[in-house]
Amino acid sequence: MKTRKLLDKLMTYLDSDARQRKQERDEIKAVLKKLKRREKKLRNRLEEEDDDDKRRALEKEVDIVYAQRKKGVRLLKEE
Amino acid sequence: MVRRIVLATIFAILAYGFWISPDFKTISAGVAVFLFGMLSLEEGFRAFTGGVLEQLLRRTTDRLWKSLVFGVVSTTLMQSSSLVSVITISFLSAGLLDLAAGIGIIFGANLGTTTGAWLVAGLGLKVDIAAYAMPMLVFGVILVFQKAKPLKGAGYILAGLGFLFLGIAFMKDGFEAFKETLDLSQFALPGLVGLLVYTLVGILATVVMQSSHATLVITITALAAGQVTYENALALAIGSNVGTTITAILGALSANVEGKRLAGAHLLFNVTTGLLAIVLIGPFAAAVDAISAGIGIADDDYTLKLAVFHTLFNLVGIAVMLPLLGRLVQALEHLLRAKAKHISEPRHLTDSARDFPDTAVEAVRKETLHIYENSRDVIAAGLYLRPSDLASDMPLDEIVSAPVHGNPPDIQEAYETRVKPLYNAVVAFISQSASGWGQRQMADLHWLRNANRNLVEAIKATKHLQKNLAVYVRSDNPYIRDEYNRLRMQVATVLRALEQARSDDEDADVAILALDGIRAALERGDEAFTDRLYGLIRERRITPQMGTSLMNDTGYAHDIQRDLIAMAQTLFAGPEHELAPAQRKLQLDEDEIAEALDKSRAIIEPEKPSGDAHGA
Repeated sequence: MKTRKLLDKLMTYLDSDARQRKQERDEIKAVLKKLKRREKKLRNRLEEEDDDDKRRALEKEVDIVYAQRKKGVRLLKEE
Repeated sequence: MVRRIVLATIFAILAYGFWISPDFKTISAGVAVFLFGMLSLEEGFRAFTGGVLEQLLRRTTDRLWKSLVFGVVSTTLMQSSSLVSVITISFLSAGLLDLAAGIGIIFGANLGTTTGAWLVAGLGLKVDIAAYAMPMLVFGVILVFQKAKPLKGAGYILAGLGFLFLGIAFMKDGFEAFKETLDLSQFALPGLVGLLVYTLVGILATVVMQSSHATLVITITALAAGQVTYENALALAIGSNVGTTITAILGALSANVEGKRLAGAHLLFNVTTGLLAIVLIGPFAAAVDAISAGIGIADDDYTLKLAVFHTLFNLVGIAVMLPLLGRLVQALEHLLRAKAKHISEPRHLTDSARDFPDTAVEAVRKETLHIYENSRDVIAAGLYLRPSDLASDMPLDEIVSAPVHGNPPDIQEAYETRVKPLYNAVVAFISQSASGWGQRQMADLHWLRNANRNLVEAIKATKHLQKNLAVYVRSDNPYIRDEYNRLRMQVATVLRALEQARSDDEDADVAILALDGIRAALERGDEAFTDRLYGLIRERRITPQMGTSLMNDTGYAHDIQRDLIAMAQTLFAGPEHELAPAQRKLQLDEDEIAEALDKSRAIIEPEKPSGDAHGA
């Protein structure tokens, strides 16, 4: 099993397409992490906000970030 | 403050004068009507600028002698050397004339203004010109009410001449009546003291009335009524010639360096001519006597002799100064130097950067960032926002609600000096570098070109928006002010978001994605806006005109935001942010945004059906 895993790694390394795909996946994962953090921040701000207009704007922002995250997860699953 | 005190003092002196002497009132009314006539003339000639006058000016000033003749003729026609000099300054500032031609016109104008003395002395005092003034005023005012611009202009000119004549008649009557009650001639001062004192009086009178013509007319009418001596009248004429430069100096204050040089030449010419006349007053007087005898002017016809003197010393002035014209131009150019305009220069487009496609693309990207920084400042200033405030933690509503001060900045000039030179350089750089580039570099350049265009479009929209915004952000009407502040707030939000996206903080990468949220709000339009707008008009809080302006300007504000976001999502997603390709992948397209917002709407306002809600 260990040898197989090593071989896979070697193959991936040699296959530039696969290497590029992996790099992209890592990048998306990194952005998703940041997006999650941003969403959390926005939700915290939303909880503290009393002004209706600002709440609505924040809610929209949260939904956009959520949709972006959803898109990212879908992209990861597709690859 | 000083101006107010001076104005109050003048008012008090005049009021006191009116109280003690009805004749003084008549003379003053004459001066006022005369000056009003000049204003009307100016208004009339203004109607003909923007075409005819410019063409005429260009054709008639390409040689020095032509400029001189033009100065003489135009001043004779307009009867105001001040008007001609102010117009000349404005043409010089606009680059339609060179300094030598401008000085030629000013010299000519000095000679042309002497025809006024001839007119008044020869015609005005001997003919009942008020009789001519009445029909001129009637026809002139009827024409002023016409819609066609040329007719309106002709009306102002005719009415202006009518008022000039009427003013002269009033002054004449006033001085004649004045003679019977008070003898001003007892204040006559002989000799050099008289010459200097009356020259000073002439300068002061011309500065106060802003018209040498008016001073001269008063002098001539007073001379005809025997209220001033011939000798003192000559000094007044010299003073009026020097004092008239004040109008040109005031006009040049708002002009560029060329205009200031011309005003300098005007001052130099008139002061030199005045000094010559003072120093050589004896020979001048003798020459006037000889010329008057030669052309058949009676020895005691002092008013016409004054006209001869006025023409003579201006002619001598031209004869003395004309050979020195070249040196005068040089000296003025040396003394008054153009303040170097700060024109932005490209920082990254070097020759070495052009050698490799990747470095060339990176150079263009960095230069575009430079253009962005300048554009951001231009847009912010255009909307009365300080970039430093936007970069701070200060809440945006606090920034926007602060009172607006100062004149609106000249966006066109800022664009010409801070953005266009860089944009030109980028276009030139790309056109010289792009051969032999790979597909990837060409694609990058395509996006960068778009980013540049977005920035230019955003500035253009700011320029349009600023026209009404500059008025309404200071309006007494709080409703329209609030609406325009909302527009400022929207643009400020985008500008701040862009800065956040560019900053190095942890969330910088996702900040570019956050722009999707703003883009979403823009695409869906501000639903509340339309309802609010119609409500404000219905409740008569704002006029329908304000409403339509606001609709158009909302469109411009949206354009600015859309362009800035489009630019940022291309430009900021570059090599400095390693995650750029991933960011691009996660950006939502319009359908995805719509889907996300529909969901959000369903949660927030479940009872409201969705629909197109574009406000403007």
